[in-house]
Amino acid sequence: MPAYVAHYLVMVGIYTILAVSLNLLVGYAGIFSLAHAAVYGIGAYASALVALKLGMGFWGGLVVAAVAGACAAALVGIPSLRVAGDYYIVASFGLQVVILTVFMNWTDLTNGHAGLAGIPRPRVFGLVIDNPFKYVVLSLALAALTYAVCRRLTGSAFGRTLRAVREDEIAAQATGKNVVLVKIVITTISSALGALGGSLYAHYITYINPSSFTLDESIFITSLVILGGTERLAGPVVGAFILLAVPEALKFLAIPDTVAAPTRQILYGGLLILFMFVRPEGILGRARAKSA
Amino acid sequence: MTSTAPIMTIEKVSKSFGGIHAVEECSFEVPPGLITGLIGPNGAGKTTVFNLITGFLRADGGSIRYKGEELLGLPPHQVEARGVVRTFQHLRLWGKMTVLENVLLGCRTPLGENVLTLFLRPGRVRVEEAAARERGMEVLRFFALEGRAHELAEDLAYPEQKLLSMARIFATDAEILLLDEPTSGLDTDSLQKIVPMVRRLVEHGKTVLLIEHNMELISHLSDEVVFLHQGRVMARGRAEQITRDPALTEIYFGA
Amino acid sequence: MDLVLQLLATGLVVGSLYALCSLGWGLIYGTTLHFHVAHGAVFALAAYYAYVGQKLLHLPLPVAVAAAVLAAAATGLLIDLLVYQQLEKRGAFRTSIFISSLGLLIVLENVLAIVFTPDPMRMDIGALGTAVIIGPVFLTYLHILTVALAVAGYAVLAAFLKWSRWGQAIRAVSSSPEMARTVGINLGKVHLLTYAIGSAISAPAGILVAMDVGAEPFRGTRFVLLASVGVIMGGIGSIPGAMLGGLFLGLLENLGIWKLPSEWQSAISFGVFLVFILVRPRGFFGRTIHSAEI
Repeated sequence: MPAYVAHYLVMVGIYTILAVSLNLLVGYAGIFSLAHAAVYGIGAYASALVALKLGMGFWGGLVVAAVAGACAAALVGIPSLRVAGDYYIVASFGLQVVILTVFMNWTDLTNGHAGLAGIPRPRVFGLVIDNPFKYVVLSLALAALTYAVCRRLTGSAFGRTLRAVREDEIAAQATGKNVVLVKIVITTISSALGALGGSLYAHYITYINPSSFTLDESIFITSLVILGGTERLAGPVVGAFILLAVPEALKFLAIPDTVAAPTRQILYGGLLILFMFVRPEGILGRARAKSA
Repeated sequence: MTSTAPIMTIEKVSKSFGGIHAVEECSFEVPPGLITGLIGPNGAGKTTVFNLITGFLRADGGSIRYKGEELLGLPPHQVEARGVVRTFQHLRLWGKMTVLENVLLGCRTPLGENVLTLFLRPGRVRVEEAAARERGMEVLRFFALEGRAHELAEDLAYPEQKLLSMARIFATDAEILLLDEPTSGLDTDSLQKIVPMVRRLVEHGKTVLLIEHNMELISHLSDEVVFLHQGRVMARGRAEQITRDPALTEIYFGA
Repeated sequence: MDLVLQLLATGLVVGSLYALCSLGWGLIYGTTLHFHVAHGAVFALAAYYAYVGQKLLHLPLPVAVAAAVLAAAATGLLIDLLVYQQLEKRGAFRTSIFISSLGLLIVLENVLAIVFTPDPMRMDIGALGTAVIIGPVFLTYLHILTVALAVAGYAVLAAFLKWSRWGQAIRAVSSSPEMARTVGINLGKVHLLTYAIGSAISAPAGILVAMDVGAEPFRGTRFVLLASVGVIMGGIGSIPGAMLGGLFLGLLENLGIWKLPSEWQSAISFGVFLVFILVRPRGFFGRTIHSAEI
């Protein structure tokens, strides 16, 4: 396997974790979040910091990342999810902005723009993961684990409650569901899982800086979910496979570096608009009969 | 009037919006094991009373007691936990979910809904889910809907959707069922399905409080009747008395 | 003390900008319930319209500004007409409308970044850049104009909503779309008008910022976020609330940096926002949120 294919697969694994966990929120609970990149970043920084400053191993870092992600989500979710309406969108938007500010300005902790380098390689059962092919195994294994966790959630009575809350939360309340609690729980889980993606990323690239975790990144993760489809858990996986191939494809088109980034963003944004018109259910969704 | 103690007491309940008194000093009792009809002209405050009882609206004053416990101030899911459930005039079914899933959401599945037990006690969760499915199918059989179990709720005909909305709350094992206009929008044929169903609920030991618009149906459908007008209780008594009272009929049709 | 007065003054100026954004976004959200993040793109576009008008078409500044406001109003209207209303005709969920709005924001901002580069495009503001010194406070005429425009904008909007027929139609739709439809109001037209007016009232904010520090493609994102925060704090559906919410945010941000480093401005505003919705979710003037229209 050539190295660039291995790299592609590792990234597919990481983005599967990110997109599937976001889909729990957007597709199953009907809650929109703009902060998934911030959660990704929290996982990356938390894991990197405990490895660099406390010498904690990869697995410990994963746990710390998940807890950190969960706490951030709860902090923002508890006030805003109690109220019906779009408060969570604003709150998540704000969280995204604030977390990025923290990454850039709490220089004592995060080194600001310079970022954190020299993040140690993971040790799994005594084996050091130090080449792309070993990372592929680790990444895909973690992705499969995340997928399995989400599957268990969505296929259960809890998953049923989530879908009911998404479709009609008044009816859910009348049927005895504590809608606010359900929303807070799913937001927390979604963020804990998303943070795992950050941890994996940090130990793979071994260098992180704030520019990987901006609002643009949140948009990108969202487009993975929309492209693949929110109805099926596998939708975001398909989205990841397709969209991660795009930067490679763009390189073939010889687009000048200065406009490469905005061009990619136009592509992702355009994709969001296009899909809302042409195929809102995504690639894997069942085409719904157009209703009035 | 029955001599047994009422299962629910609404006492001097009031609710205003802006300057409008939707419900004013409303007081009545619901006897157990019977069908009590809440009737009155449009805008009399009937659905508001339902919303107040079930916690979707918070009363400005008064008391709502169910089996001795105060319901005022509780959020809807806690009112349901105490054993009080309701249907909606506009049904509010989960159209994109199957008929069986709609009923399963009414069944008790606390282990499956708790994320911790879901992952730490998978065996018990599986047992609970299987039991819930069995109970769900039982409920569907009771309402003659078992053949449609795996169809989407939105694909059902309207009368069957009405039955499903009742099935959903029946599955909760709540003792008192609040039915909001169970017969509205139905033709005479469909009424044959619904009206006996409501009676069967009571035969099964439930108490029913229903909102009904159709004066003719009231005498068939209710044992006791509470007549509401402009947010106040105008009259209470046995169905035959109330429906034959000319003054009340005047208000009902005149308003 | 001198510093505090300066911060208060700056806070008032920044608050006026946020107020203009909140008024426009709040009008649109309160009436259509669309979470129109693309409003940030309209904000950015307004700045570039003015820049192009002055620097490329050589129009006198007031003409360029007026034309830019009109162009921004048209842009907002077209977004509703060509995107949101089309999606609604296809039975789209509210989330789909939001996602399309997000897509629009990203596409428009990045097109501007490619066409004009991400660097600030400066305008000539002539005498407006002259300093004004009031006691210990340092401002420019542009800053004073900003506050004046916010007050004027609020007054005009409030008067329009209260006394004109179309304004009353907008209020009716905002209060209850079903009822408005029953009395014969054309919701499609009211939405278009709302977008035009909402965009027109926020456009000056984008233009004023461009006149001060230059037009930038990505600034609109931050402003639309703050606009939505201002609207929630002021109370959804309340015009005085939006004004107050915006002003409050501006003052908060600037007084916040009295004691804390300036990079933490957004964190402060956002932190206050979270506490605020814990304590008073309906905002200063919002209606109590009744759990559902059952």
